[in-house]
Amino acid sequence: MAWKTINRQESVVDADAPSALSEAVREKIRSFFPRYETKRAVLLPALWIVQNTNGHVSHQAMVEIADLLEIHPSDVLDTLSFYTHFWTHPKGKKVVTVCRSLSCELMGGADVLAEVKKQLGIDEHGTSADGQYSLVTEECLACCDHAPCMIINEKTHKHLRPADVAGILADESNDRLAIPRSDLFDAPLGAVEGSGESASVDRVIGSTSDVDEMRDAD
Amino acid sequence: MTAACNGRLKLMPKIIIDNKEVECREGASVLEAALAGGWNVPHYCFHPGLKVVASCRLCLMEMKMPHPKTQELDWAPKLVPSCQTHVREGMEVRFDSDPVKKNVENCMEFFLLNHPLDCPVCDQAGECHLQDYSFEFGRAESRMVDEKWKNPKKDIGPKTLLYQDRCVLCSRCIRFTEEISGTHELTLVNRGSKLEIDVFPGFPLDNPLQGNVVDVCPVGCLLDKDFLFKKRVWSLESTPSVCAGCATGCSIRVDHAERVVHRLKPRYNPKVNDWWMCDEGRFGYKYVHDDKRVTTPTVRRGLEDSTPEWADLPGIIRYRLEENVQANGSEKVAAVLSPFMGCEEAWLLGKFIRDAAPDATLVIGPIPRSGEDQTFPIGATGDDIRFTISQEKCPNRRGIEMVLEAAGGKTLDFEAFVASATAGAFSAAWVVGGYPAEWLDKKLAVKMAAKIELLIVQDIFENPLMGGAAVVLPACAWVEREGSFVNKAGLIQTFERAISPPEGVPQDGAFFFALAGFEGLYTGERVREQMAGKIPAFADAYEAPLKPVHAH
Repeated sequence: MAWKTINRQESVVDADAPSALSEAVREKIRSFFPRYETKRAVLLPALWIVQNTNGHVSHQAMVEIADLLEIHPSDVLDTLSFYTHFWTHPKGKKVVTVCRSLSCELMGGADVLAEVKKQLGIDEHGTSADGQYSLVTEECLACCDHAPCMIINEKTHKHLRPADVAGILADESNDRLAIPRSDLFDAPLGAVEGSGESASVDRVIGSTSDVDEMRDAD
Repeated sequence: MTAACNGRLKLMPKIIIDNKEVECREGASVLEAALAGGWNVPHYCFHPGLKVVASCRLCLMEMKMPHPKTQELDWAPKLVPSCQTHVREGMEVRFDSDPVKKNVENCMEFFLLNHPLDCPVCDQAGECHLQDYSFEFGRAESRMVDEKWKNPKKDIGPKTLLYQDRCVLCSRCIRFTEEISGTHELTLVNRGSKLEIDVFPGFPLDNPLQGNVVDVCPVGCLLDKDFLFKKRVWSLESTPSVCAGCATGCSIRVDHAERVVHRLKPRYNPKVNDWWMCDEGRFGYKYVHDDKRVTTPTVRRGLEDSTPEWADLPGIIRYRLEENVQANGSEKVAAVLSPFMGCEEAWLLGKFIRDAAPDATLVIGPIPRSGEDQTFPIGATGDDIRFTISQEKCPNRRGIEMVLEAAGGKTLDFEAFVASATAGAFSAAWVVGGYPAEWLDKKLAVKMAAKIELLIVQDIFENPLMGGAAVVLPACAWVEREGSFVNKAGLIQTFERAISPPEGVPQDGAFFFALAGFEGLYTGERVREQMAGKIPAFADAYEAPLKPVHAH
């Protein structure tokens, strides 16, 4: 392919475009600085914050993050492109990830995928016209025992049949995690520090992680 | 066995490689010890000037390790990266063994999996370590039956191209921009089989040291736009030299063919530049092949111009100078020695002038300066500095100063010389230029030339003094001469003649040699022997050590 050249000298960022990071987002990123020895270490939380706010991390956002963390934009691209779950272009409100690996395939995963495509009217990596859904496939969702399966945002839907798909996609809460609470290991809702009235079950489960704190701050 | 180290006697560790005992530097890696011992150990990611990442897996060897339970030395059950393992006294390793060979063979097969095999149109062919290693260690045929991954090339900067499909992902270039230049332009994007080297779009690779990423690239992935498709490397001849771009004095290699310089490459020198050089020096040689160069000597008497034979010139100059000295006295003679001259040339010219006119004034030419010293990684200070581009854009100010000091008598700096010359203090002067860019103020030069009766001007390009000069002599660029430069740290380094000067011009040193009355062939070494009597330092010029043959 030496006869084709990609021009990497040209900027893909529109210099006149408004800032991709709002002051609130910047402040949220800055609030992570005291936690680490270097500003560079805030890169992953920063990418999460931006993705959670904007839905994706655009090239312009990457340049602005780099500026904020005092690192080169290439370092941001390096980290971002390593993780496949960061999006560089807009995605739908919910991402449907269908498994394409062996167990699911044997249990009829291909039919499920075809049904999802038909219901949403999009192909892989596409986003539905109303901006609600994006569709991707993954190698394995680590749910082979419940094959075939798919994930909507972070919720896993198991033992799927093509007939179930329409119902799941129509359900508003199809991406809400509802992990059953264990009386033995999980503290009751009211006992969780800082969880006010808006506390929900899924927040209790991971209330110690940075990611959840970032989500809380939204 | 012991060897002198830092003035102390220090024990050097001995290790056994393939049943042969090898003595090595304390703290060296097994790979470095093997390379120094002459083994051709394949390696891509290891570079002595950069951090070790042990990612290419080519230099894996069998090693004896302390057993975790018994602590007895025993052969480790798997191969160990030799670039990452430091030598220890009594260590034993095997390179010439079946598991090692098998590993290299398998690694090479993976490196070549998606390689386009476009050597006929690749600039690196001939100095490519994919070619060398697959010939030496690889297998003749590929078992890959699927279609190769095709990947377009990327224009990553104004001077460099990145051919992604030839890349072996050694990350040397990335580590260079991180550790040496400190500019971080290059990075690894994506993951696994889709991993590639890239820049952030709109933030191109454009720093003063960027040319080095082409040098550290062991394959044809990063290529110089300047040299691209100009010459096949096997038709180039290499001559060791010293960069004349600034006072740092990097050791370089001049690659030339048919009397044309095609590129400059850095040469390893632990005292000055390590493995690197700057772009200013790397691409700063272009003036050598400029059409506007002065190539014929001219002698004027009255209104008459003549072009004498080179062999007659020493006689003519000597006669005219003696005539002038007799008429005006020897204190009215001056010689301007350019900081672009070699020490030998400056010494010979100074000797000739002082022999003819014992009270003559010796002047050091103007020192071109620009901005401040640039240190790398960008903004580094003190011990963190890995490379410096000097603000002094001439190679030999220190050398000329040493020659002037040894010559004694009356010496002036250039400003003072211009002031007294325009006031009519000199009736004869020899002015040497050799600057790649304009260096004289036109008005002052014309004024000065009008006051000097016998003006001998020697320069690469035409300068405003030449209009009023009695003798105009062409000068040679440093790649056309041999001699020595003294860098800003006072290190005397020799450079060799790479190409011959244009149109039968003798190299400056040879001309001065004949002029000063010496007989026989001019060599820098012969003159340095003579100079050593006056300046003992010149008895011992510094030569950078050679890299092991198989190191790169």
